[in-house]
Amino acid sequence: MIAYLSNLATLAAIFGLLAATLNFMVGQAGIFSVAHAVFMGLGAYAGAQVALLVVPNPLLACLAAAVVAGGLSLCLALPALRVRGEYFVAASLGLQMMAVTLFTEAKPLTGGMGGLVGIPRPSLFGVVIPVLPMALIALVLFLVLMSAMQRGSFGRTLGAIRDAESAAEALGKNVAVAKALAVAFSAAGAGVAGALFALHLSFVNVESFTLEQSVLVMAMLIVGGTGTLLGPLLGAVLLLSLPAALSFLPFIPPTEIGSVQQIIYGGAMALLMIFRPAGLLGDQKRGRSEA
Amino acid sequence: MTIALSCQGLARSFGGVQAVKGVSLSLPAGQVTALVGPNGAGKTTVFNLITGNLRADEGSATLHGKPIMGLKPWQVARAGVARSFQDLRLFQHMSVRDNVLAATEPAGWFWQPGGASARREREAKADAAIQAAGLSAVADARAVDLAYAERKFLSMARILAAEANVWLLDEPASGLDLSSRERFQGLLHHARAQGVAICLIEHNLDVVMALADRIAFLDRGQVLAEGEPQAIMRDPKLAAIYFGDRQ
Amino acid sequence: MLELQLLLGGLQNGALYALTAAGFALIFGATKVFHVAHGATFTLAGYVFIGAWNAGWHPVLGVLAAMAAAVAFGIAMERFVYRPIGRHEGGFFTVFVAAFGVSIVVQNLIAMVAGRGFANVDSPLSMASEVLPELFLAPVFWISIVAAVAMFLALTLFLSRHPAGVALRALAQNADLLRAYGLSSSKLSILAFALGSVLAAPAAILTAMTSGINEAVGNHVMLISMAATIVGGVGSLRGAALAGLLLGVAEAVVLTVLDTQWAEGASFMVLFAFILFRPSGMFGAAVAR
Repeated sequence: MIAYLSNLATLAAIFGLLAATLNFMVGQAGIFSVAHAVFMGLGAYAGAQVALLVVPNPLLACLAAAVVAGGLSLCLALPALRVRGEYFVAASLGLQMMAVTLFTEAKPLTGGMGGLVGIPRPSLFGVVIPVLPMALIALVLFLVLMSAMQRGSFGRTLGAIRDAESAAEALGKNVAVAKALAVAFSAAGAGVAGALFALHLSFVNVESFTLEQSVLVMAMLIVGGTGTLLGPLLGAVLLLSLPAALSFLPFIPPTEIGSVQQIIYGGAMALLMIFRPAGLLGDQKRGRSEA
Repeated sequence: MTIALSCQGLARSFGGVQAVKGVSLSLPAGQVTALVGPNGAGKTTVFNLITGNLRADEGSATLHGKPIMGLKPWQVARAGVARSFQDLRLFQHMSVRDNVLAATEPAGWFWQPGGASARREREAKADAAIQAAGLSAVADARAVDLAYAERKFLSMARILAAEANVWLLDEPASGLDLSSRERFQGLLHHARAQGVAICLIEHNLDVVMALADRIAFLDRGQVLAEGEPQAIMRDPKLAAIYFGDRQ
Repeated sequence: MLELQLLLGGLQNGALYALTAAGFALIFGATKVFHVAHGATFTLAGYVFIGAWNAGWHPVLGVLAAMAAAVAFGIAMERFVYRPIGRHEGGFFTVFVAAFGVSIVVQNLIAMVAGRGFANVDSPLSMASEVLPELFLAPVFWISIVAAVAMFLALTLFLSRHPAGVALRALAQNADLLRAYGLSSSKLSILAFALGSVLAAPAAILTAMTSGINEAVGNHVMLISMAATIVGGVGSLRGAALAGLLLGVAEAVVLTVLDTQWAEGASFMVLFAFILFRPSGMFGAAVAR
């Protein structure tokens, strides 16, 4: 039972980090991406390779993950952000669908379908440490960073861009740079989450980085509420407990639990957008934008 | 009289329709130039061409003698041209103070240069702009919750805080009641005394006559006349165009 | 000959993509709704046809049922999802998430009802015969091309001749203008959804008859539709259709060099190349902001 709870807590922290960083991009900067699992995957593979080939130092793994995911996200962000918001969504969907193939085929880097196995337990100075405290520290660190940015000038810049991009430009804001930074920061956070995910499971393969995973993270964010600090965490906990909760319902055949889960996410996303667009914790006026 | 901003031969067409054809305009420092003309004359398009929101097919523009044509909107803004929009484009979900602070923070990076002292300076600048615009009482309210006139003044407060020396204002006084209008005129008089070159698109001729040092009359993408307000407004031909009974 | 074979296959897919993308572009142009659940329309229509076929219905009845399902789904989306969101002034994000959510529900409901994995119909029409040495074509190939051309011609005629079609085009260009003339934009937007959705039905049916469809095909269709709309130039029906054709052929070209799983990559590459070098698309006016 303790092991189960600690596993759930670790996953909640990791997915909380994913949802919170996606929230930074979506809620704060108004940039919409359905490729968050790709950046998580880049981080997971980078972190896993560091642990496998160099040293199972979790700090180094997370750093490598952040650099790889954040850096590569710029390749998508810089061109796609020059144009309208719809373009970025379309490009991120295309990237997500192609990345699954890339992850499957780049066998030397990702191990293909079989994935990377036997990732060593993370250790610092020869002491093996569990992933849970590291995930919690990473989550808190990113939350603190994001709330500081939200209150500071960068948050104002992103908010200005989200609310009225042309007016932000007319005040001298280099919109492209600010947006690209927001994307890179968010992707770096997703990369760290991916590295922790890989270290936690000691195994990763492409199935954790599919469109379904991106949708799951997005659903966590939507259910919890965009633009709030704690909403994404609530969403992560709720949706991660869903499979366990569903398995208590006798009338759902076990083979269909996956589908039922997805129907619940999808339905929740649609219904919330229609009736409560800012999510469970969100400020309801916030969901109405002029975009 | 120093010319702050001048443009020569600006032209732009949209899908075969020539919206602006060869507009030349000079904005002297410390003067208010009103851009008047019937709807669809191309007034806002001229602004968009100057600020780089639209690319000109032809023409050039200089700011204090330096070419600004081809620059991106944010570069034009940093060079010292502030503009307002007819539909205001406030940062709706941000507080009044944050709206104005944003205008004092041009850098798009994670942090602004200059450290704590520069930050205090920016905050002081923003507070001064908020006070000048008469918004101190609602400084913590969100833009979306403001009343109509307050929104117009918030748009002005952003421009005050941006400390630009050229202002392009797109119908800033439309819909204001008399007392708000006087307050608005006070803001402009003050800026003019500081040497700001102001260009104003305005339909209300009372406002134009009260504020403008010069008028440029625009029709069908061309400047028909330019000069003293009295002279322009007395011209019966222009009045006929303006009031819509052209032959 | 293998290259020609693949190219013709790409042409067939492209024709079907063109139809689907034209539907998406029509809806986007007229209503400004980024209808990402268009992929779900496609999936639904395909499975309704397969269901009707397996139940032994006459094929014509199956086609009609698929079209009816597509239209009903499109109109339902407009009435029960987009319109309520529009009423509380939801932005692009709200619309996108809601439509995406519905797509996920449809995909999983279909998986539960019809089962996972590829489903198709075996008809004599999908039997390929050798038309030239080493070149095999099934009658479905010709049907696809003819259906695409015919539907596109009918659509063009409707949009240029019928008053409602002309009004739709006007709506695409200037919503205010239309309101000034007192036309009901609410009825027109239903018409746009009905027309746009019905275009996806033949594409879905013909895909089910050739390569087969699975419950997740909607994601691919969604990507193709969005990519084609952007590549063709936002607001241009003709552009979207041509871009759909281009994407189909691009996939075929990729397949001559790489394995099938890279087909998805082809559309992404074409999309990305356009975003990089020609963001306004093939026929789009420069994007003014």
